[in-house]
Amino acid sequence: MEAYILSLVVFGALNVMLALGLNMISGFCGQISLGHAAFYGTGAYAAALLSISGLPFAASLALGALVAGALGLVVGFATLRVREDFLAITTMGVGFLFLGFVRKQEWLGGEFGVAQIPSPLSPLGFAVLAVGGALAMVALSLHLRRSWMGEVFRAVAADEDAASTLGVDTARYKLWAFVLGTACAGFAGGIYAHVTGLIVPDAFDFIQSVTILAMVVVGGIGSTWGVLAGAVLLTLMPELFRFVNDYKLLIYGALLLAVMRWSPSGLAGLAALVRRALRSSPA
Amino acid sequence: MFHLELLVVGLIWGAMYAMMALGLTLVYGLLRILHVAHAGVFALGAYAGVLTANATGSLWLAVPAAIGVAAAVGPLIYRFIYAPMLSRPPYVALIASIGLFIAMEDGFRLLFGPYGLPFDYNPWFVTTYSLGGISLNVVQIAMAVSTLVLAGAFGVFIAATRVGVAWRATVSDPQMAQSFGIDPVRVRYLNFAIGSAMAGAAGLLVGLLNNLVEPGMGAVVSYKGLAIIVLGGLGNVPGAVVASLILGVVESFGTVYLAAVLDRDAIAFAVLIAVLLIRPRGLFAPAR
Amino acid sequence: MSLLEARDLSVTFGGVHAVRGVDIAVERGELLGLIGPNGAGKTTLVRLLTGAVRADAGTIRFDGHDITRAPAYARARQGLAMTHQLVRPFRDMTLAENVSLAAAHAVTARPLAALLRTGRGAARRRAGELLERLEITEFAGRGAATLPLGVQKRLEMGRAIAIEPRLLLLDEPLAGLNQTEAARLADLIATLNREGLTVVLVEHNLAEVLRIATRLLVMVEGAVLASGAGSEVMRRGDVRAAYLGESRAGTGEGRGARG
Repeated sequence: MEAYILSLVVFGALNVMLALGLNMISGFCGQISLGHAAFYGTGAYAAALLSISGLPFAASLALGALVAGALGLVVGFATLRVREDFLAITTMGVGFLFLGFVRKQEWLGGEFGVAQIPSPLSPLGFAVLAVGGALAMVALSLHLRRSWMGEVFRAVAADEDAASTLGVDTARYKLWAFVLGTACAGFAGGIYAHVTGLIVPDAFDFIQSVTILAMVVVGGIGSTWGVLAGAVLLTLMPELFRFVNDYKLLIYGALLLAVMRWSPSGLAGLAALVRRALRSSPA
Repeated sequence: MFHLELLVVGLIWGAMYAMMALGLTLVYGLLRILHVAHAGVFALGAYAGVLTANATGSLWLAVPAAIGVAAAVGPLIYRFIYAPMLSRPPYVALIASIGLFIAMEDGFRLLFGPYGLPFDYNPWFVTTYSLGGISLNVVQIAMAVSTLVLAGAFGVFIAATRVGVAWRATVSDPQMAQSFGIDPVRVRYLNFAIGSAMAGAAGLLVGLLNNLVEPGMGAVVSYKGLAIIVLGGLGNVPGAVVASLILGVVESFGTVYLAAVLDRDAIAFAVLIAVLLIRPRGLFAPAR
Repeated sequence: MSLLEARDLSVTFGGVHAVRGVDIAVERGELLGLIGPNGAGKTTLVRLLTGAVRADAGTIRFDGHDITRAPAYARARQGLAMTHQLVRPFRDMTLAENVSLAAAHAVTARPLAALLRTGRGAARRRAGELLERLEITEFAGRGAATLPLGVQKRLEMGRAIAIEPRLLLLDEPLAGLNQTEAARLADLIATLNREGLTVVLVEHNLAEVLRIATRLLVMVEGAVLASGAGSEVMRRGDVRAAYLGESRAGTGEGRGARG
């Protein structure tokens, strides 16, 4: 039972990191990415291989995040000229390309992935690490929103060309968003690889990207607290309601659809509505 | 000979992609929506076809069933999902569409089982003809022929009929079209009906070709369809057809020559990304 | 040396020469009115100068530096600001936030500094001054998308001035405003110019342009037709001919036409 709870905590925290990272790119900076799982996978593979080669755990984690961030930089750079719908499809393509590449690489274990990744921490240790990492990312996300960079991100999301007439190098800011967001995913990937001890390519497929996106969107794209809530909710939902597990994708899909249809700003938008209603009605 | 065979097989797959991509690019051209759930309609057509064929024992009845069900569902998707979202930022409809597609896929799995449904009786699959030394079954021939017929009919429809002209006018300037008495909403329904009918037909043909209709059959086609319409220049109908054929051929050769580096389904995106790096608005995008 | 000098600028869109072989020099301290019938290429010229559109041929020098190949943001940093013909505020930000962001240009020029800093004080004060100046303080906390057009036009101008430009390119700032609003905004533009800001004013409202411009430049069919003092230029036969058919020209009527 305790092991179950601890693993739930770890996966919840990993999802929080993934969702917050994607939110930096898509929510804050307005660059829709449909391939976030590729960076999660990059971090996982990099950290796993480094660990197996004998590097200390902490260094593997850090390098995993770094490699994912570097790939984020490359992808960001390659997609700089591509906007909106084109960007969404291109990032989706990056996800498929990652998968198609990894599956065929013998040195990455092909379809079978990488096994026997060292497990340096106890389950409790992993839970503490993951929660600590998630909290650090919440702090980073909140700071980012308040910083001038966050303000520029809002402007870029609203109107890139208008932002550049104010002297803002929009390309560099978009790259920052990509690097920060993908490094978060890479860090989460490193933890994931060491927790499970085994990684396979299919863990980082399009459905995983969409699942992360679902957390962001259900929580409320652009809102740190909303996304945090979305990630926790979508992690717990299949666990709390056992029957949900069998219909997981059906429900994820329906949830995405329903949120977009009736409340595009997600839980955060609903919370804002409730707050406003409470304020305006004499209590 | 081997290369010729790769070329022909590639073109046939390309023809199937074109049937998918036409619907996608029609929707994009009219509404600026990346209609991912189009692949759900594709799979739905295949299911309608296989269920009809197995219930009645007639493959011929499966054709109208697949096309009819798909053509009915497409406009419903527009009415109940996209229409209320048109004023929102583009990602809203895109994410909703992904959600709908995933839900449909899982719905098929829950209703008809994870392993899919084979055709009880599929003579088209086993009847083969030899054309210039290349052996093709009836389904493959049907795929090529129906794409030619559909694309041709569509071209005539667009160029020569009243409704087609209305459609074109609505795509290029909705307000102008409206002032000439064209009802843009009706054009949209028509658009979804035609595009979905083609997807349903494509779905049935792919089901026949694999002799299996399975829940996930739409997924890869759907994402490739998006890659294709981006390659073709979003909303550009001839561009989408040419890009489909190119992709079919590249994949066909790629599975032989790139197999060590990339799997088949990633090739589309490798091509896509390479092209977008050079031409960020696709191969056949109009000038600014 | 002129503040801005463009030589032989040309650009083609889909086979149409939108701007062909334009030479233009903007002198320090002047308020240059750029006029011409619809489709004359005025907006395209502004977009060429600010870097929104790349020239097919020609050179642009700003304060002695060749900026022909410089991206839009780099030109803005050198002191070339613009307003858009169709207003483009950052829609989900308040008016004050819009202008503050522009006022923080020294911070936002360096992403790392922008990441580390959160203090809004200085930028907000500067934005407050500008809003005061533009007489839109009362709207400071309102969402930019919800503001009336007159306010949005001033917001555009405030944002442009906030980056402390040396040259301000205004693309039809008076379009869509009523006569009183247009006259007041024109007065403000004239005042800014008297205080030392060089201005290029693209405008269809000829009455206001003639009133405040220190020099006129007339464009027709993508080329410069005439340049000189307002009254002189308007007396020329070819200029009058170019405006024939532009029925509303010279009446000073506000309009939302494309340039």
